[in-house]
Amino acid sequence: MTPTSALSRHSSPKHGSPRHGSPKQRRQEAMAGLAFILPYALGTLVFIIGPLVAMLGISFTSWSLLDTPKYVGWANYHKLVQDREFLGSLGVTGLFTLGILALNISAALGLANLMNLRLRGISAFRTIIFSPVVMPVVAWALVWKFLLQPQGPVNSALQGLGFQGANLLFTPGTALGTVVVIEVIKSVGLNAVIFLSALQGVPKEILEAARLDGAGRTQTYTRIILPMISPTFFLVFVITLIGALKVFTPIWVLTGGGPSSATTTLLVYMYKQGFGFFDFGYASVIAAALFGLILLTTALQWNLRRRLVFYEE
Amino acid sequence: MKSEAAALLPRGQTPARRGRPWALLLYLTLAVVCLPFLLPMLWMLASSFKTSGAIFGNPFSLGAADLRLANFTEVFTRYPFARQYLNSLYILLITVPVTLLLSSLAGYGFARLRFPGREFAFLLTLTAMMVPSELTAVPQFLIFKTLGLTNTHVPVIVLQVFSATGALAVFLMRQHFITLPRELDEAGRMDGLGYWGVFWYLLLPLSRPALATVAIFALLNSWNDYFNPLIYLNDEALMTLPLALQRFTDPLGGVFWNLTLAAGVLVALPVLAAFLLAQKQFIESLAASGTKG
Repeated sequence: MTPTSALSRHSSPKHGSPRHGSPKQRRQEAMAGLAFILPYALGTLVFIIGPLVAMLGISFTSWSLLDTPKYVGWANYHKLVQDREFLGSLGVTGLFTLGILALNISAALGLANLMNLRLRGISAFRTIIFSPVVMPVVAWALVWKFLLQPQGPVNSALQGLGFQGANLLFTPGTALGTVVVIEVIKSVGLNAVIFLSALQGVPKEILEAARLDGAGRTQTYTRIILPMISPTFFLVFVITLIGALKVFTPIWVLTGGGPSSATTTLLVYMYKQGFGFFDFGYASVIAAALFGLILLTTALQWNLRRRLVFYEE
Repeated sequence: MKSEAAALLPRGQTPARRGRPWALLLYLTLAVVCLPFLLPMLWMLASSFKTSGAIFGNPFSLGAADLRLANFTEVFTRYPFARQYLNSLYILLITVPVTLLLSSLAGYGFARLRFPGREFAFLLTLTAMMVPSELTAVPQFLIFKTLGLTNTHVPVIVLQVFSATGALAVFLMRQHFITLPRELDEAGRMDGLGYWGVFWYLLLPLSRPALATVAIFALLNSWNDYFNPLIYLNDEALMTLPLALQRFTDPLGGVFWNLTLAAGVLVALPVLAAFLLAQKQFIESLAASGTKG
């Protein structure tokens, strides 16, 4: 038995100091631990966890900037389920999320396969695909807003191709899709890199065995490589899904939620209610709904993880 | 050995071996795929030199007359852009070191020390990591309004430090400290170091890569922070860069695109340059923050 394993046998399975030492030492350790986390924990309690709880409380009040809060029970929630604009924003959030998921994941996988090519200079390709990820988001959104001006290059080109009056970003029918594409180009590099490292992690022996057994290229890809990287698939799916629910800045900069609410997601709607109309009670209900949605997604993720994903071992 | 390695690759992964036309076609595909990623940035750069009249013309027809720096000087002389640049810089210089300090302290506490309520406190950290900061905006606003701190940098800094960024930093530092061998601590303790000494003199010097990971995404999140400045900063002189970029407008709201894009270049350039210099660290950091956050 090596000294290392002998030592680690003493520590409890969870990390932390070994459970020995006098009560006094244990108390000292506890005090030190509390002291170490105190600055962060205090701030989080006051500025994040407290407000999270308060948000749920405020959702039962009628409260605007100049008013004092009044308890109104479930009134805000009743209003919420009948509010066409809210239901609309729920639909927009759903479409936006679906669009991001479909486009981002398929593009990321495609890009990862390209990045995995053994070509001279392929690292330059990786750099280029990744660079929008580090580009400041407002600058990125503004360049696209410029490119998508009615008289700007994208619409001019489309009009040249015969699409009369093309105005992608400022027409209700195409605005949401356009925002999705801009957001995917910005962020797909990250998922692509994650897929790339998964592709590179597929053991070569397995691929060789498949080849010797006469598997074709497509077969190898769909029957071996894809199942092997399914944990990564799942990870990418979850982070992209939760990420899509959190998108605010590019939408706000590109369209402000318009035209005619076509890009008003839940967060945009919450911002409008809370900081446009300063209706704190109603904004909090919307926030509570989004919070519920995030909790639901997280719970679903844990449930699906066991059933859908192939793990080695 | 080399040929054996190549033989192990699935067919199609060694296009170079299939002869030139095939490789050429692949390079062409890659170049086309690059366009939507690269072109907006190049377009921004080219347009930042143009007059507002020429801005919707062909951006890459850069004649000598087009290479003018007037936009860049105008941004500084006619707008408080210099002030706003300094605002973003000094906020960054506070939020990043504070995030590093708080997260390594808490990360060490969570990873190494046993105290009552530890699991619960860590659960709250995970919650803070998951919840988008926008959700808690209303109560936070009410706190800072009560304290009379709206339209100051205080909420912007405080919320940056304790937002999902901060929670993620704590999580990553904890994961990092768990990987360091406990024997280090014990050796340090035998040499008479206290908990602080072990943390500061032994473990922290071994944590440079983890600290770099945290520093990079904290830096990017601070530089790009938009939502909280949007809520709290009304004064033009107090605004940070992401807000400043939207201030180059005429009184009716018409955008001066030449100025906007020139300012955009000034905001993006340092970040993109840093990325090119330290690509590996940037990608690692963003992958860590993306997959954990």
